[in-house]
Amino acid sequence: MEQKFLDLLKEILEIEDRELLMTDNFREYPEWDSLAYLSVIAMLDEEYGIQIEGSEFKKLKTVGDLFSVVTKK
Amino acid sequence: MSPFDLKNRVILITGASSGIGRQCAIGCSKFGANVILSGRDKGRLNETLGMLRNDENQCHAVMACDLTDYAEVERMISQVVEKMGRIDGVLHCAGISTTLPLRSVSIGKLEEYFNANVFSAYNLTREVCKAGNFSKEGGSIVFLSSVMACVGEVGKSLYAMTKGALRAGVKSLACELARKNIRVNSISPGVVITPINQNLPHIAEPERREALESKHLLGLGKAEDVANACVFLLSDASRWITGIDLCVDGGYTAM
Repeated sequence: MEQKFLDLLKEILEIEDRELLMTDNFREYPEWDSLAYLSVIAMLDEEYGIQIEGSEFKKLKTVGDLFSVVTKK
Repeated sequence: MSPFDLKNRVILITGASSGIGRQCAIGCSKFGANVILSGRDKGRLNETLGMLRNDENQCHAVMACDLTDYAEVERMISQVVEKMGRIDGVLHCAGISTTLPLRSVSIGKLEEYFNANVFSAYNLTREVCKAGNFSKEGGSIVFLSSVMACVGEVGKSLYAMTKGALRAGVKSLACELARKNIRVNSISPGVVITPINQNLPHIAEPERREALESKHLLGLGKAEDVANACVFLLSDASRWITGIDLCVDGGYTAM
């Protein structure tokens, strides 16, 4: 499940040159921008049926934080 | 009588439970129309009903309906005709919007948006224009398109394609329905502040709002601005206008 999540995130952020780590601060990725944000929101909804509020999303910092949203479902 | 008068006209408004659709319903009622409010949420449609002008000779109705359920639409139209008489005007405001980059637009999303914004509009038009449903004197059909049908923004391709389809369809429908004296036009609003979008980042965050405002020569719009244009296109004031798209965008597409 964890690997699938990382693969999906990598694909949606269009990252080709490295692997993602759970400890990464995704907001510091050079690929992170407002469209990346929308893509992640859409991915969480489509792949995991999770709708997340903007205010809640703001609290998430690391890839692990994002993953915990998925596992808590 | 003012050429903008809608007295004794039966006007069906979809998406009337909120935002632009709701304001259009209020606008039409002010000009004397008998308004049929359509949308999915009966509770919110009833809220809209409570906001309408309701003079002695006016009669309004609420018809909850999922426009993507074609059998339900057929039933709704026959109920409308039975209860209110033949339809003189249709204002199709129902639709969904999104900002999604190419990478996130799946085939599923395409189907969802085309179903909600295009197929339902076309099916509604077909039902309304079936024999016995539209006024023998003709009337007016108005689709809510968007400035995104003619200009671009990042992340708007999916939404733009659906609104562009409506805008393109208007011209041929106008040609086809002119013999029945039914006029078909669209309205393309720029960014209008509504209760739905006022808390979204592009409106709520000062920096992003400023950037958006700078793209509108006259600032951001109000639902009333669109409603007034709709009243114009539904009324005899526009009797010689068909097959057009009216940009109501505060100058967004002028630049």
